[in-house]
Amino acid sequence: MLFSLAWKNVWRNKKRSLIILAAIAVGLGSGLFASAVMYGMWDSTVNTSINRDLGHIQIHTAAFQQDALIGNFIPDFNAAVTIIRNEPAVVGVACRTIIEGMASSATSSSGVKILAIDPTIEKTVSDLYTNMIDGQYFDTEKSNPIVIGKTLAGKLDLHLNSKIVLSFQGPDESIIYNAFRIVGIFDTESSIFDGTNVFILQNDLFSLLDVQPFVHEIAVRLNTIKNLEPALLTVQTALPTLKVESWKKLAPELSLMYDLLTLYLNIFLGIILFALLFGITNTMLMAVIDRVREFGVLIAVGLKRKKLAALIMLETIVLSISGGAVGILLGVILIRIFAATGINLAFLAKGLSSLGVSSMLYPSLPFSTYLTLTGMIIVTAILSAIVPARKAIKLNPSSAIRTY
Amino acid sequence: MSLIELKNISKIYNETKVPVTALRDVSLSIEKGDFAAIVGPSGSGKTTALNIIGGLDVPSAGEVIIDDKNLADLKSEALINFRLHHIGFVFQAYNLIPVFTARENVEFIMLLQKMPKIERNKRAVELLTAVGLSDRLDSRPSELSGGQQQRVAVARALASHPSFVLADEPTANLDSASALSLLQIMEALNHDYQMTFVFSTHDPRVIKRAHRVITLEDGQIASDVINQNAHDD
Repeated sequence: MLFSLAWKNVWRNKKRSLIILAAIAVGLGSGLFASAVMYGMWDSTVNTSINRDLGHIQIHTAAFQQDALIGNFIPDFNAAVTIIRNEPAVVGVACRTIIEGMASSATSSSGVKILAIDPTIEKTVSDLYTNMIDGQYFDTEKSNPIVIGKTLAGKLDLHLNSKIVLSFQGPDESIIYNAFRIVGIFDTESSIFDGTNVFILQNDLFSLLDVQPFVHEIAVRLNTIKNLEPALLTVQTALPTLKVESWKKLAPELSLMYDLLTLYLNIFLGIILFALLFGITNTMLMAVIDRVREFGVLIAVGLKRKKLAALIMLETIVLSISGGAVGILLGVILIRIFAATGINLAFLAKGLSSLGVSSMLYPSLPFSTYLTLTGMIIVTAILSAIVPARKAIKLNPSSAIRTY
Repeated sequence: MSLIELKNISKIYNETKVPVTALRDVSLSIEKGDFAAIVGPSGSGKTTALNIIGGLDVPSAGEVIIDDKNLADLKSEALINFRLHHIGFVFQAYNLIPVFTARENVEFIMLLQKMPKIERNKRAVELLTAVGLSDRLDSRPSELSGGQQQRVAVARALASHPSFVLADEPTANLDSASALSLLQIMEALNHDYQMTFVFSTHDPRVIKRAHRVITLEDGQIASDVINQNAHDD
């Protein structure tokens, strides 16, 4: 009955309640949507990194992690791959041979990371092949094919079918040079990645070095990111001598960015609610002043002051939660619409590319944000009710009853 | 032992620069079953006396003893609880909760007493029927006439099984017919259930029907007489 009274009281002055409700709804709806855009940006960055080259899990030797030398390869990598494939959540395992080297054209040169791969297997982990803007992803009969990024091609003034020379230190510490033919140029969301990574065939590298196959990195793709922690634990347990790490460890800046983003967005929503707090307090204070006589009567007939305070708090919570619910609904609708259509930030593509962010954003919001927000709304409502409730419980019933 | 006993009550208001004495050394006993009117001109102290009897105001001097309980011994929350269980209030301006129906207004007092829902509902219907509003149970105050609202207020005052009912100028806002109807209901409750009524008024219609008339003048009891002609219309 107290809740029923609170609900009915909220709607006694419809116009006033609707105004503050609309303020809460618009404030929170917009705040949620803005948050979702930011999370979408982060999602885009993470997913792009995971899908492009990172995978969900990577395996290296501890020595390679310390010093990316050609000799620090994974011993008996085939056995490791077999173990990894036994994990049910694994949908792709790609072995990469990685060498730091120099890429040179007739006009210029640049330091690069040379990734020797098996393109067919690599496709099960990386979607780089979907980012080709010129040529093809190794689907060619040409000898010594190489795929490079658009940024590097521009820097070295190279085009499709141009020749590029890679130089690097061999296993015997001699400097090895070899010419490769550009068969494809990719353009990902990250201009840094495009300027520093080149891809060649593993077989070409092993023939060039005249060695048995060896790999430095095993990249693993899972069916869903939700299985990351259990899969990681299983593989870590199965391969105790190797460094088995998730994308969070491999790209700590992304993980840090997420934590910072969550903190920033909570502060952002907190500021919105803090501003709304004054509006809600004002509305409830007016409601109390309007009902001084009624509160006097309630105290006179036996409503204890703490119950009166609870009634006002309940009314404030009902008002705030109603506004919050409409705001969340508004936010969800906006997020759903733009998650389906995307937000095209093509005019910012160059700047976003340098940050590794796609120019097409799809807003998304973790469920935990809604829970946090609901908690924040309730806290705001309670804080908003303090001043009006104090005013009400300090009323002297005999004089309050005579107030007109 | 009297139901209500005022012992040497004085009340001085210090809200303005010049203190105002509302009651001077008033002593009064109200017995169970009384149907007493406190009368007097405006400013004579009627409302102050009722507020002090009802525990809504604290006397500057003297003691208020109700049902053997000295109100001065009760702290704020205990006093509210005491009012809830011992005193029914009827106000001049009805003062019903506007968003509640007649039934809910009556039930609300019983809710505060933590009475079970079924019992609350049953008693609310009984009381509203007793005041002639069985057909207006689900009407809100805005849908009722002044007289009907005041009858709901009487039902509300009786809901908590109080020891007595205090009514501050209950007929002041009512037309003659409504006032008469309300008085008849109050008289019937007094007669049938020995419910004690103490009301302030300067309405001659009410004074005429009161069994006991206590007249206040300048904050003092000028007379306290038994009305032998009560009920005589």
